[in-house]
Amino acid sequence: MENTSLAHHLILAGLLFVLGLTGVLVRRNLLVVYMCLELMLAAATLALVAFSRFNRTMDGAVLVFFVITVAAAEVAVGLALIVALFRKRGTVQSDALTTLRD
Amino acid sequence: MPDGLFIFFAALTLGAALLLVVSRNAVTSAMGMILALVGVAAEFFLLDAYFLGVLQVLVYAGAVMVLFLFIIMLLDTEDATGAYPWKTAALGLATFFLLAASVLWLFHWSGAVSAVKAGSTPPELSVNPAEFTTAAKSFGRLLYTKYLLPLEIAGFLLLVALVGVVSLSKDNPETKA
Amino acid sequence: MPSDLSSLVHWILFLPLGAAALSALFLRRAGGLAAWLSTGTAFAIAGLSLNLLSKGVDVTWHVELAKFGGISLGFGYLIDANARLMLFVVSFVAAWIHLFSVGYMKEDTARGRFFAGLSIFMFSILGIVVADNLLMTFIFWELVGFSSYMLIAHYFDKDYAAAASKKAFIVNRIGDLGFILGIAMCLSLYGTLDFVALKDHAAAAKTIPVAVGALLMCGFLGKSAQFPLHVWLTDAMAGPTPVSALIHAATMVAAGVYFMARVSFLLAPDVLQFIAVSGAGMAALAGLCALAQTDIKKSLAYSTLAHLGIMGCAIGLGHPALALMHMAMHAFFKATLFLGAGSVIHGCHHEQDMLKMGGLLKKMPLTAVTFIAATLSNCAVPFLAGWYSKDAIIEAAYHDGRFVIFAFLALAALATCLYSGRMIRLVFLGEANSEEAAHAHESPWTMTLPLVVLGLVYSVAGGFLASTLLPAGSLQPIKPALDAIAFHLNAPSTIVGLFSLVVGFFGALKFYGVVRGADALQVVSPRTYHLLEHRWMDGLYRWYVDSVQRRASEFVAFLDLLIINGVAVRWIGGGVPAVLGYLTGRSFHRGQTRAYALWIVVGTLFLAWFLIAR
Repeated sequence: MENTSLAHHLILAGLLFVLGLTGVLVRRNLLVVYMCLELMLAAATLALVAFSRFNRTMDGAVLVFFVITVAAAEVAVGLALIVALFRKRGTVQSDALTTLRD
Repeated sequence: MPDGLFIFFAALTLGAALLLVVSRNAVTSAMGMILALVGVAAEFFLLDAYFLGVLQVLVYAGAVMVLFLFIIMLLDTEDATGAYPWKTAALGLATFFLLAASVLWLFHWSGAVSAVKAGSTPPELSVNPAEFTTAAKSFGRLLYTKYLLPLEIAGFLLLVALVGVVSLSKDNPETKA
Repeated sequence: MPSDLSSLVHWILFLPLGAAALSALFLRRAGGLAAWLSTGTAFAIAGLSLNLLSKGVDVTWHVELAKFGGISLGFGYLIDANARLMLFVVSFVAAWIHLFSVGYMKEDTARGRFFAGLSIFMFSILGIVVADNLLMTFIFWELVGFSSYMLIAHYFDKDYAAAASKKAFIVNRIGDLGFILGIAMCLSLYGTLDFVALKDHAAAAKTIPVAVGALLMCGFLGKSAQFPLHVWLTDAMAGPTPVSALIHAATMVAAGVYFMARVSFLLAPDVLQFIAVSGAGMAALAGLCALAQTDIKKSLAYSTLAHLGIMGCAIGLGHPALALMHMAMHAFFKATLFLGAGSVIHGCHHEQDMLKMGGLLKKMPLTAVTFIAATLSNCAVPFLAGWYSKDAIIEAAYHDGRFVIFAFLALAALATCLYSGRMIRLVFLGEANSEEAAHAHESPWTMTLPLVVLGLVYSVAGGFLASTLLPAGSLQPIKPALDAIAFHLNAPSTIVGLFSLVVGFFGALKFYGVVRGADALQVVSPRTYHLLEHRWMDGLYRWYVDSVQRRASEFVAFLDLLIINGVAVRWIGGGVPAVLGYLTGRSFHRGQTRAYALWIVVGTLFLAWFLIAR
């Protein structure tokens, strides 16, 4: 532990975030896209915890607690939306959802 | 050279995340996601945030991912078939390396992070900071004192989400195509 | 105790809102419960208003909602003598109309919605009455427009009802545009919207800009169906009859008159002149047009237009108190007339054509007696309610030396007697002209009781009340004028009134008895009938929209296509995304979620770079 610095954790968090972002950009399946979004959120919480640990304050960690709470609520609503979308359109592939064009 | 455990869990997390992104099967993706979240939880442990690590495993890797798997099974979506989308993959790879390079530049090569001394809080963030402890008790104390209002709002948000989900998933005949 | 009284006003204002919310949210399927809840509330308000009236004390109460610089927006009450009178009239008439609706709407499946609508209307109109500033008035003014729209469209599955509600709403929008501009002008000129403060400013200033009054008048033109925005009122009869009685005869259209009386200090002489002339003209014309309507409700609607013209004329002559008094009297007898018409329609199995009625005096005696009493009041038979106020206005016109207006008003009085006699003759006398009329039956007590109360008590004894009970403060300024006409039968107005009564009323009774099953005027002189029946203003508006407005909008659309789309968007706005889209190998606007996400990322990176590089 003594050997790892703040920068190491931030790089890990950043790479995780970028991976999630890439997934959001390239994947077509909305469920996978949604999981990638959650991954980005997890990366952000990792950065927060790292800051909290290295700054010796508790506030970042408490913020992570709230992020997890909000993410749980968000997942529930988002999945309900995807289910509703699937019921209406019969697909969860983002290519098929181009109604916004018109 | 960083700690061996850190390297191990970092590799695990990134590998699992890669599996999540590239797998053409949604269930495999979800498995990768669970693994990645467990990896993040392990990093929390390494950062002395034991309570958050437990919470991450319980809420995220547990409840949320079970919900995801449940929905994947329920919708029973077809796997991606046909020719491998090389063009998209190449675009994704390019995006990833571009962004990853910028991350490395920002956190490592620019030297901005290592210039900050450990424990030195920027002045604007040092308003009434809470002392860092590893005890779960300190979370409770903070949540019911300094962060009481956000806690209430979060509780209310959960209620709203609950109501919203019920209303969204009601079998409304109008939403059927 | 002022604080006690302001809580009384709270109750008056918010009881109907509570009833409306309860009905709309929980009682959509329990129509009977909603009906009695709404009716009970209306009677409670009537009792509270009577209490307030009998106390005869001014109430002011104000709470500031928002403050922008020196401009304060608030919510408050300003209950003066006029407001007390208006509160009482509105709530009292409304209470009995609610009771009438319980019987009239018994078989309707959407009673919950209907009574929720009535209650929300009560809330809105009472808000206008008690409001102490222009903004609050405007908000409730729009709420009244909305509830009127909703209630006209009660039978929304009928095309004509849907069209009529839209027409009413849109025509009112035109007036309200002027209204809101007037409010903005008041704000910029005087820096306040408060009635009391505005009055002080107006008193301090030597002259009031014509534009302020003219713009505020636009709202009145729309809401009170004054010329040239009167076209919506006759179509609004597509709503249920109690709605026509409450909103489109007794209260809402009168709210415009009340508002004009409230801001009369802001009206420049030119504005007053316009209101007086157009009001008097419309009174005469609408009265004549009522002769060419076979639908009993439409005929009554024209009669309402005529009376609104008379009220407007009184405002224009500078006698707001007279206008308010006529508003009160008119509310009582016109509500009775409409309710009577509703009872007749109900009894004749939803037949509205007067030519198919006849001989209902024997079949529906209670309805007939009250209807005739209200009609006589409408014709200003001496010592009935309408006589006191209408003749006072005619007398005032003569007294002020406005002989053109006097002539128009005299013509209006004659026309009133003509269509009243025609209505009585066609509906109640003679023989039944259709199966429905032959098998007519008297209505249940919930419908006849309001008729008896409103019709007999107020149409007949209204004059007595006008000179004794109501003047407890409210009509004091015009008491001498009232006394002058009430006891001098040789006054010009009395002579005109009696002449038109004898010639018009009895002439009509005789004239329309000649032909059966058809309109006598149409038989004798088809061209005159057509002249009166044809809706000239609607034709004018259609021509304007078709030929002028459409052409103009097509021209503007062309300019938009040429300049905005062609030059601005395609060259500048279109250029940047086109280049970027070319670079990424995809078009910018294909509705692809992923493409949007990509642009979000690009934007975020740009922002991050900007923040870091700073």
